[in-house]
Amino acid sequence: MAHVVLKNLIKTYGGYNAVNDVSLTINDGEFVALVGPSGCGKTTTLNLVAGLTSLTSGEILIGERLVNDVDPKNRDIAMVFQNYALYPQKTVYANLAFPLQMRKLPRDEIDRKVKQAAQMLDMTHLLERKPRELSGGQQQRVALGRALVRDPAVFLMDEPLSNLDAKLRVQMRSEIKRFHQDLKATIIYVTHDQLEAVTMADKLAVMSGGNLQQYDSPAKVFANPVNMFVASFIGSPAMSLVPLTASTVDGRAVLAGAEGWTLALSPLNARKVQRATSSKVVLGARHSTIKLTTSAVPGAIPAKAYTVEPTGDVTFVQAMLSGAIVNISVPPDVAVEADQPIWLAFDQDRMHLFDGATELALKAD
Amino acid sequence: MTVASKPAPRATIDLWRWAGRAFLAVMMLFTLLPMVWMLLTSIKSGFAALQFPPQWWPNEPTLASYKKLLDPTSSVGEDFLRFFWNSLFVSTMSTILSVIVAVPAAYAFSRFDFPGRKFLFFSVLLRNMFPAVVFLVPLFILMRFLGLMNTHGSLILTYLTFGLPLAIWLLKGFYDNIPYQLEQAARIDGASRFQAFLLIIMPLSVPGIIATAIYSFIGAWNEYIFAYTFINRNDRLTLPIGIQRFFSESSSDFPGLMAASFMMSVPVVVLFLMLQRYFVRALTEGAVKH
Ligand SMILES: Nc1ncnc2c1ncn2[C@@H]1O[C@H](COP(=O)(O)OP(=O)(O)OP(=O)(O)O)[C@@H](O)[C@H]1O
Ligand SMILES: [Mg+2]
Repeated sequence: MAHVVLKNLIKTYGGYNAVNDVSLTINDGEFVALVGPSGCGKTTTLNLVAGLTSLTSGEILIGERLVNDVDPKNRDIAMVFQNYALYPQKTVYANLAFPLQMRKLPRDEIDRKVKQAAQMLDMTHLLERKPRELSGGQQQRVALGRALVRDPAVFLMDEPLSNLDAKLRVQMRSEIKRFHQDLKATIIYVTHDQLEAVTMADKLAVMSGGNLQQYDSPAKVFANPVNMFVASFIGSPAMSLVPLTASTVDGRAVLAGAEGWTLALSPLNARKVQRATSSKVVLGARHSTIKLTTSAVPGAIPAKAYTVEPTGDVTFVQAMLSGAIVNISVPPDVAVEADQPIWLAFDQDRMHLFDGATELALKAD
Repeated sequence: MTVASKPAPRATIDLWRWAGRAFLAVMMLFTLLPMVWMLLTSIKSGFAALQFPPQWWPNEPTLASYKKLLDPTSSVGEDFLRFFWNSLFVSTMSTILSVIVAVPAAYAFSRFDFPGRKFLFFSVLLRNMFPAVVFLVPLFILMRFLGLMNTHGSLILTYLTFGLPLAIWLLKGFYDNIPYQLEQAARIDGASRFQAFLLIIMPLSVPGIIATAIYSFIGAWNEYIFAYTFINRNDRLTLPIGIQRFFSESSSDFPGLMAASFMMSVPVVVLFLMLQRYFVRALTEGAVKH
């Protein structure tokens, strides 16, 4: 196993930066999820690390070695592809044996390692089949097996679960996580599914438009998103973002909504708002941090229920505030109906404030 | 609930089905009967072949014509076997060369982005937009200039210019349908770029290679006009010209002519029967995106 360092990676396709100045350090044994919407450059970044795509500029280190000009086969990496890329003409056994044969291992050692990997992934009975005779989940396992027979320095996985059905995805998710814990493997895992990223990874690298937005543990990314993109991308349902105007009432800092209400701010939040580049401030709140009441409460903002979605465990209520939809979760026994007047209280300690112009999170100091 | 569209009455379906079958039967007779007649004539005696009304089934079937053709000591047999060998040589060489050139070319067109790629690919196809005879005179002049008149090389070169465009086009379609992630996987698994092609991609394209091989072999085997124009020396003639010349001299030996024609179709039929499985697979796989 080894650590991986990416320094100022840039990949340009005909004047368009698919990967734009991405720098990351992945520690030995760490599970890092590259997460972001479709087309944000996740696969391109992974292919750069694998050496399948040539760098425009930047440096890639695997272990202590600069691998910019090293062939993929000599980078000591293994990769699991989104479409598995199993060799269709070879049996499962031959698929698993191929990387070992290419490394000229003796035949009995190949046999031993293939059987060991097959046992680990519980597919000994599938060894003589061809890939097309396997189900999606089984193919996924073979793809994983082909990566782990070699115990490489780094595992690269490009959306390995995206072709599976929901149930299998949850199962394979925990299997891959288990596999990471057992092997202490360094894994770079690409996904556009933020839930997958949050549940599996030690660290998230959130990307958008070729840029790395934030790189931190899931808990920190969740608690302190650096900008509005990360705030709305991580977490489900997405964080509600309400555009407001900063002003003062009787010497106290408040945020004013388009409907004419004001929200008084705690001293800490007031300091944050002072640092905004203009009076435009965006309030971010996750569904669980907003308290909904059906009668007026001091400090709560009046609104009207827009839609009500019971899911069984919780009921989601949507309301319109300042032209934005706000998502609130309430226990299923709270009776709310559409168009009913409601009052919303925001938790001052858990609310997020963003600069309306730069979209960056506002900090107190 | 009402039924949205009434299914066509059974009788109508049956009628169409039987009309289709009848049509196929007629077409089959149309293609098969000449061949049957060729076979029947080839086992008649020279006299019986000219009888009218014709003997449908020869009274005294004989393999004399075949014996004569295959006997290297008779002058007929000597010529026929030499023509046969010439044809086999020219066709096999064109096939081998065509595969050797088409496989890497098609792969490059499919996988690499190099300057002039579109233009080159289009110019490859351009050749197929003109009828072959258009090239007869230019190629004749070219071959004379190169000193290749009366050589098999002239024919092999010519057949390559006909076979290659389609071979490249067909194989490119094949490579386009093989996900490039397979090569990426192979390269990560420890193969060089060339090994990835040789060990993973080549085996997958075997049906396509076989199909192009059959195509160029048959094209070369049956070709007449260019062989007729480029080759004059009797000992270098290929089968189509050889048979035609030989039997226009002894014009009444119909059983001999038919036996020679039959023997000429044997290699193609055998080749096709052996490999048709791949041929069909190639044509369908090339057409359908997975
Ligand atoms: N070979 C290429 N030529 C030109 N542009 C490319 C090429 N490969 C990728 N791109 C562009 O680079 C950007 C990033 O692509 P990439 O495949 O890395 O996205 P991704 O984050 O993996 O998306 P997805 O989740 O859909 O797989 C896209 O806008 C894409 O159009
Ligand atoms: Mg991708």
